[in-house]
Amino acid sequence: MGYFIGTDVGGTFTDLWVCETGGETRVFKTPTTADVLGGVIDGVRMAADAWGQSFEAFCAGIERFGHGTTVGLNALLTGNGARTAILATRGFADTLEIGRMRRLTSGLNETEVTDSYLRNRYAPLVPRRRVLEIDERIDANGRVIRPLDEAQARAQARRLRDDAVEAVAICTLFSTVNPAHEKRLREIVLEEAPHCFISVSHEISPSVGEYARMSTTAANASLGPLAGRYLSKLEETLRGAGMQAPILMMTCAGGVLPTSVLNDRPAYALFSGPAAGVMGSQAIGARIGCHNILTTDIGGTSFDVGVIVNGRPIMRSDISLAGADIRVHSIDVDSIGAGGGSIASVRTGGELQVGPRSAGANPGPACYGRGGAEPTATDADLVLGVLDPDYFIGGRMKLDVEAARRAIEEHVAKPLGMSLVEAAWGIRTILDSRMADLLRRMTLERGFDPRDFTLFANGGAGPSHAWVLAAELGLPGFVVPAAATAQSAFGAANSDLAFTTERPAYVRIGADRKIAPEQAGRIEDALQSAAEVVRDNLARAASNVQARFERHVSIRFRGQTHHLDVPLAEGAFDVARFDQLTRDYQRQYEALFGKGASYAGAGFEVLAVRVTAIAALPPPQSTTRGEPLARAGVRAVYFDDASKAVETAIYRTSYPPADTDVAGPCIIEFPGQSVVVPPKARATADASGNLHIRFGA
Amino acid sequence: MTQDTALNPIQFEVIRNRLVAITEEMRIALQSVSGSPTVTEASDFFTGLFLPDGSVASMGFQVAYQAPVCGLFIRHISQKTKMAVRDGDMFIGNDPYVGALHQNDVQMVGPIFVGDEIVAWAGVEAHETDVGGMDFASWSPKAREVYQEGMRIPCVKIIDQGEMRDDVLEMICTASRLPHLLELDIRAFVATLNVARERVQELAARYGAKTVTQAIRRMIASSEARMRERLRELPDGQYHASDFLEHDGHQNVLYKIDVVLTKSGDAMTLDFSGSSPQAPGFINSTRSGLMGAVAGAVMPTLAFDMQWNEGALAPVEIVAPEGLLCTAKFPAPVGSATVETIWVTGSAVMRALNKMLQASPKYRHRAQGVNDGAMATFNLGGVNQFGEPFGLHLMDPLAGGSAAWPTRDGASAGGPITSPMSSIADVERNEQVAPLFYIHRRLARDTGGAGRQRGGLSAEVALTLAVDDAMALVMTHGAESPNSRGLAGGWPGATIVQTMGWKAVERGVRVSHDAEVFGPKPGLMKMTNRDLFEVSWQGGGGWGDPLARDPALVAADVADDLVSEQAAREAYGVVLADGGVDAEATQETRSAMRLARVGAFDDDPARRCKAEPFRRIGDALFLARDGAGAHVVTAAGYILSTGHTRWREGAASTTRAQPPSAYRIKLHEDMRVTEWFCPATGALLEVDFHEAGKPVEHDMILKLEGLAH
Repeated sequence: MGYFIGTDVGGTFTDLWVCETGGETRVFKTPTTADVLGGVIDGVRMAADAWGQSFEAFCAGIERFGHGTTVGLNALLTGNGARTAILATRGFADTLEIGRMRRLTSGLNETEVTDSYLRNRYAPLVPRRRVLEIDERIDANGRVIRPLDEAQARAQARRLRDDAVEAVAICTLFSTVNPAHEKRLREIVLEEAPHCFISVSHEISPSVGEYARMSTTAANASLGPLAGRYLSKLEETLRGAGMQAPILMMTCAGGVLPTSVLNDRPAYALFSGPAAGVMGSQAIGARIGCHNILTTDIGGTSFDVGVIVNGRPIMRSDISLAGADIRVHSIDVDSIGAGGGSIASVRTGGELQVGPRSAGANPGPACYGRGGAEPTATDADLVLGVLDPDYFIGGRMKLDVEAARRAIEEHVAKPLGMSLVEAAWGIRTILDSRMADLLRRMTLERGFDPRDFTLFANGGAGPSHAWVLAAELGLPGFVVPAAATAQSAFGAANSDLAFTTERPAYVRIGADRKIAPEQAGRIEDALQSAAEVVRDNLARAASNVQARFERHVSIRFRGQTHHLDVPLAEGAFDVARFDQLTRDYQRQYEALFGKGASYAGAGFEVLAVRVTAIAALPPPQSTTRGEPLARAGVRAVYFDDASKAVETAIYRTSYPPADTDVAGPCIIEFPGQSVVVPPKARATADASGNLHIRFGA
Repeated sequence: MTQDTALNPIQFEVIRNRLVAITEEMRIALQSVSGSPTVTEASDFFTGLFLPDGSVASMGFQVAYQAPVCGLFIRHISQKTKMAVRDGDMFIGNDPYVGALHQNDVQMVGPIFVGDEIVAWAGVEAHETDVGGMDFASWSPKAREVYQEGMRIPCVKIIDQGEMRDDVLEMICTASRLPHLLELDIRAFVATLNVARERVQELAARYGAKTVTQAIRRMIASSEARMRERLRELPDGQYHASDFLEHDGHQNVLYKIDVVLTKSGDAMTLDFSGSSPQAPGFINSTRSGLMGAVAGAVMPTLAFDMQWNEGALAPVEIVAPEGLLCTAKFPAPVGSATVETIWVTGSAVMRALNKMLQASPKYRHRAQGVNDGAMATFNLGGVNQFGEPFGLHLMDPLAGGSAAWPTRDGASAGGPITSPMSSIADVERNEQVAPLFYIHRRLARDTGGAGRQRGGLSAEVALTLAVDDAMALVMTHGAESPNSRGLAGGWPGATIVQTMGWKAVERGVRVSHDAEVFGPKPGLMKMTNRDLFEVSWQGGGGWGDPLARDPALVAADVADDLVSEQAAREAYGVVLADGGVDAEATQETRSAMRLARVGAFDDDPARRCKAEPFRRIGDALFLARDGAGAHVVTAAGYILSTGHTRWREGAASTTRAQPPSAYRIKLHEDMRVTEWFCPATGALLEVDFHEAGKPVEHDMILKLEGLAH
């Protein structure tokens, strides 16, 4: 008997998804504890109980332990990282202070950005007095312009020791082109301040552009001591109880890696929670034959979207958070302030606005009865009959319908001269249209047609709003994954091993578009060097794995600032391959920016190469009997028309069995979500318990 | 203003969000494709949707100066009755005498048809590095006429019913020293307008053209209503402000932009009549530039929480006769208008607006001095390290300091607030693609304006070349005029210092600290890889009397190396010992400094008001009322004026030709600084900069009737 486990530690809840090989699948939720560890262990204990096993026997049966978390992210956001210092090139200590001027507006949402009073929300990751300069300089071609002053470096390293610094980020100019000085600096710090956790920029974020590289290295350093401690403690506890499998941590890029590889690179797991959610959708998609997926998650405050094309998530390299540009290869999860807690308000001139302001969990929506007086999207859902006041989170929380009605009546209906239901319907319509706008942006802007995608609805509020989003985009329906409320935990247990690295390779091609063999050789060298790094790390992650490789080249028209990542086929990089690359680039470019936008006459610049190695892990197999849908009465629910409520059947289940087939209008209530099946739609469940809702079926 | 009642609030909000999303999509399309660093980094571009009459309805978060210009261009096209406007057409232009800020701002607009009717226009504009003219980058200090500054396109159809006119494209690109970059950007414009056209047409197909037009109108009406509501909340009165710029490219003459803001009820007038006449050189701006400057100042200062569009500007009337520095007559040269007259005009307007905020209980916390009052220019042209002709316009000078707020210090390297999202490129990125080699890029100590709250520090750079030589254009204003003014007794940030260390570098390493100190506009010069160009920009303005700053904060600034010990002592009166504050010595020093300001303290009891103040109108200025009427009083209760708010009449003052060195401010020979003090305590109330031999004008004449207790 074996167990596949995925866990996702969020700010409030720790989710655990457990699949018994050949048997049942279950989801557990426990409150996240301050030390993080406690919540995870609690979850494992709950699981052991559920299977009637002792903690030790259960741990001994764990075949895979996948882990995702936003804890590192939260530590950064709340300034709770380790005491960190930076060693930088003389003359450039203020790189984080100046922050390319981007630090100032970082973290401002779309309605805040015009307000200069809100700028400078986040201080630099490391204060100015702990950034130390060293005499040294390397130029863009990797030539040493000023040699490293080792005596000075040694003196600065001693200052670190005396200043009780716990972590050191080393980031010097053009270390990505010539890492000699950074390597030597690491040796010196190791000798003088051996207790420090050290991050070196050319390893952590090997890309040209010192601000993002320094931020990423500093973030990595400040999380290093904490993440390492936490993961080794978790591993120790579980292994002490008999677990044989290694802990596999979800990375931002969507593959998992053992802690032995990730301990030095906590920044690679900064956004592992949202990434795991997308990977979960990818895994389900692979099983049910869906390869183009819009994976959505509606929580209390935000609406998160990832896009999967041909079975692979769309990626990005730069993310801005906590006042810093972080450069790690990541699944692109975009997000807007729209969720169950989004507040509806009426502005001057009778305008109704919904979000991005949110009531959060405290005080939360008016219907939570915790003192929130402003109406939220959840209040509207309650008034529209979508939610059952007595069966919220499986009945664990009673909702106050009167409070919801009062809030909407007073703050929206009355000022706009509408009926209560019209106002609630308006709140939902505006919220849903904002979410649909984000979905359009993430597809149309990239040259995709949203109608070529399947919508996956995750998160507490996702399944109750998905019917509107799908209809808005012209889709024939949507899918509610079996683990929709714990999709990140599910994803953590269902991902392959993967490691990605980047190598800068700056090559400039003139208007004749001819690449010199020497230039092609430099690109080939960079590809080889990157391939070597990913191979080594994957070998450290697991022995005897069969890896496949994916390669990308960052290229742009000469003179541009933005580039595209273009996939590269196998084989040595030569003149012919370059020609193919530029053709592929222009095709991709025109798909994005329209026919005629491309202009090869400008020439090209190649910036960097990226290599990913992926080793497949077998997915867990389960056979679920499920829990047949139980009728729980009827309710009046408002769908398309605010003037007419529809008598709607209510069903309850925690895991729909494979033969489920119900006709809309109906609502299928799960302990943590309500799936809305509109009139003229049908919901069926597949063998894994995923619900498929089809319109007009 | 007409409210369209047919459109319900839910439908309106849905369409409004969609239009904003479309504008954002236009921004991303342009920024992703453009090759111009002024676009990709500094956000000096514009994307927006317009009503057929040229009113801007929705714009991206870019340089706010650009808000009106595409609209002026659209109006110009609409007035050309012989110009056929058809579906799929796009027009290109860049004429500052039609509707651009200067010729570098190339703009393109296209109608969006539904059936036979134009429902909206989409517009895009971006600063192009070179559009021809006598010097590279199309800025020439020696120009005397606009003809010398590069091609001018009043209005040409470049896309004819969906087809690119290659002859026109070739003609335009041929005029530029960087034809490939210009062509890349023109293609980016086409892509951007196509996005707008497709999306708005989809929207109209779904909701109907009429509904979409109604929604656009209502977006504008909504911002106007909110702006008027804000104006009603602010105190009625007259607010006077000015700003100066020195050197017109030919001669180091001092020029003034003067603005009188009269606010009454829900409207305001900005009168620029007191400004200098137009200049013989390239610093002028046309009337389109003036309108841009007003938009760029009013929107971030007052419309910070509303949608930026035509409506936010509707309550503002501009009074400005022809032939001023800011309303130059054809064919005056205007090449550097954006960083010279427009920038300074924007600062003067923002200063007047902030004086109004300062007197408002509700918005006083938002009142501040001037953010980054100058953008120095460093242009470089020649042959780059790849053997290609190149031209660059360095964006780093955006990283001046931001002004302090009443409760917070200003942000260092915060830049201007006229563009919400501007940024500068990494040193590594600059060195990778251009022949630059930096010795440092860091914060410049002592550049933040002194005050109870300190202004943010400016950044500074030192750089040489990575090729043998190139031609550099060095110019600025603000080397002899402190544009980043403080408020309520706060001092301005440091003035700009630009120097060239000739032969100060050997193989990328500095070997000498000798340097020639430049004036404001040394102009075009040959530079080699042995020379070191060094520049520090203006820090942000301070807030309140520096002697009122918490000494512990001054000590922390010294510990962080943001403020020198000398400045701590001379500007803040703080004496440090053993890394901390010497409290006793600090108190003594500050007392002596306050006394020295006024000579002797005025303790006449007849000048003291016993009534409690009912409103704060500065950091140490208040309104109080007793049997004798309303007074302006200082924090000490000293009566400065009675029955009116021309409080300088009762204040002590000192006028100087140069401020003490600790402030790092250099003044033009025709300029003076006057400090105003409380006669009873020596507290600093305001710092004024003005022309030599001219009196300081009263700057805040509040309408006292109706001011609530």
